[in-house]
Amino acid sequence: MVVTGDVLQGFLQAIQPSSLLATAVGCLLGIVVGMIPGMTISSGIIILLPLTFVLDPNVSIALLLGLYVGGMLGGSFSAILLNIPGTPSAAATALDGHPLVARGETGRALGVAMLASFAGGLFSFLCLFLISPSLADLALGFRAPDLFSLMFLGLTMICSFAAQSWIKGLLSAVIGLAIVSIGQDPVMGTARFTFGDTNLLSGIHFLTALIGLFAIPQLIGNLGKKTIDGVVRTPSIPFKSLLPTLPDLRRMRLPVTIGSIAGSFLGMLPGAGGPIAAFISYDYARKTAQNSNEFGKGAIEGIAAPESANNAVTGGALIPMMTLGIPGDPVTAVLIGALLIHGLAPGPLLFIEHGDFAYGIIFSFFWANIFNLVIALAGLRLLIKLAAAPRTILMPAIAILCVVGSYALRNSFFDVYVMFCFGLLGLVMKWLDMPVVPLLLALVLGQQLEENLRIALTGSQGDISVFFTSPFSALFLSLSVVSVIWSIQSTRGMQNKEAGT
Amino acid sequence: MMARRNVLAGMVLLAIGLGYGVLTAGLPDRSLPGTPGPAFLPWLITAGWLALSTALLVRGLLGGGKNSTDVIEHRIPAQGWPALVGFAAYLLLLPTLGFIVASILFFASLTWLYGERNKLRIVLPAIIIPIVLFYLFTAGFQVLLPRGPWW
Repeated sequence: MVVTGDVLQGFLQAIQPSSLLATAVGCLLGIVVGMIPGMTISSGIIILLPLTFVLDPNVSIALLLGLYVGGMLGGSFSAILLNIPGTPSAAATALDGHPLVARGETGRALGVAMLASFAGGLFSFLCLFLISPSLADLALGFRAPDLFSLMFLGLTMICSFAAQSWIKGLLSAVIGLAIVSIGQDPVMGTARFTFGDTNLLSGIHFLTALIGLFAIPQLIGNLGKKTIDGVVRTPSIPFKSLLPTLPDLRRMRLPVTIGSIAGSFLGMLPGAGGPIAAFISYDYARKTAQNSNEFGKGAIEGIAAPESANNAVTGGALIPMMTLGIPGDPVTAVLIGALLIHGLAPGPLLFIEHGDFAYGIIFSFFWANIFNLVIALAGLRLLIKLAAAPRTILMPAIAILCVVGSYALRNSFFDVYVMFCFGLLGLVMKWLDMPVVPLLLALVLGQQLEENLRIALTGSQGDISVFFTSPFSALFLSLSVVSVIWSIQSTRGMQNKEAGT
Repeated sequence: MMARRNVLAGMVLLAIGLGYGVLTAGLPDRSLPGTPGPAFLPWLITAGWLALSTALLVRGLLGGGKNSTDVIEHRIPAQGWPALVGFAAYLLLLPTLGFIVASILFFASLTWLYGERNKLRIVLPAIIIPIVLFYLFTAGFQVLLPRGPWW
């Protein structure tokens, strides 16, 4: 009965005019952000996050979810129209989307992408709705050793997937943990590495770190790019051409099914994310298609499979985020941060203590998929014009928003300077080809990781076997070892390939 | 190229790791016997940091990453350095000049660095956008953005 009440409350929360409006605005912004090559969804959310401080948590999350879902579709638009994927997940869509544009079938390519994204998003909504409560129930039984091992697994998996070099992936996570250790320790409140500075007592706020790490390298990197504008030069697209024909719909059925299932499943794995799901689905769709020789030349199936997959990833990634507090990708890591800012900790207790809010998120995700389709269909021409705003205006505006966003956290210049230092760190990491995602995850999970580690060891009076005697903890630690070994093997494979070429 | 960077990064990270270890050794021990104290995680981090930075150094010395093709892509563009200096100057001048004046100057210089040469297209957005953002955040979101002597 309690669950039914929460479902209803969540539904009512999600259909409040303010939530619906926020979802729609988020979708609109997301599509535009996704369409701008050089802007990532994570950056879009990070820049928007300070604006949500004054909003209700459900409205704020609805806005950010809309941006997440919209960003995926927007990324595909620029992949199809310009052959420049707006997001990494959209790279597979460009393979067949752009050849269709070159053949003069722009509307058909965009229409298939929109519909496939919608189908993938809805499928992942169903997974999110059906799986999350059961997974949260299971996770409620987790004790401190299990939680520590689970977070450790999340970190190692992200390191494995995010990095070309496992050493650099793990180093990035270790640097993140070292940054988290600044300030009062979470168990006894002892000041660590503060050098007597009171600003450091409460630690480094992860949002300032995120803004610096993501936005500044992007601003600097975009200074060297010359071919970022140009979306506006696409031909006019009649509304009718966006609607897929019946034969196209028939051809889309199997690839959309493959993409939706693969995307939802891979989205749940921390770190796997959109690009992997999109390419795996593309590959499967090619193998199962009768017209596999058309792939790469403008096959409808080649758009439908990766598109449904990358939008299905969004719902899949929300499952571990909401039930376990483990982000499935960088965007959900930022969403965890957004929830924490509003005093809500994602994890199994979210469904118990704030069940209505948890279901509100799930239903807002549903509405985000609906609005995404409606806005994309109805406002395509306007969206293309918005995305074509000159970067000479857009990028300086983003730079100033980064400063305002960091300052707004605590009305303190200290946070602004910290943000800038993290920007420099981000540039150095980029120069070294070191991924920032493990660092980001360490910043989000670090404190809980330490808390659970110390609680577990205090409970066992320093006996580390507690991590191996609990079945869940042992399972998570084994999976961590597997993910690190797999990462080492794949790095070696890549090195051998490089040496071969 | 990447191998040389790995060696350099390995050495710098090793030095930072050692420094972190020294600071960790100075942390107060305030725990019950047999239970982990505030220095417990920092010691684990130190161990991991030193091991991984040594591995990176060794990998670089052995020529790992020599064939990486993405080095040029990750280089800071020529306009990036003045942009970073401008950004630092903007942050330093912000408390003195106030948000609007400092932002107008920063916005205009960044627009120029992004390649805009039309004076009107540099000046107009540089004035309008910081003013709009200032009033949006101060009036709309109650953020106390710094005011300067003039504005």
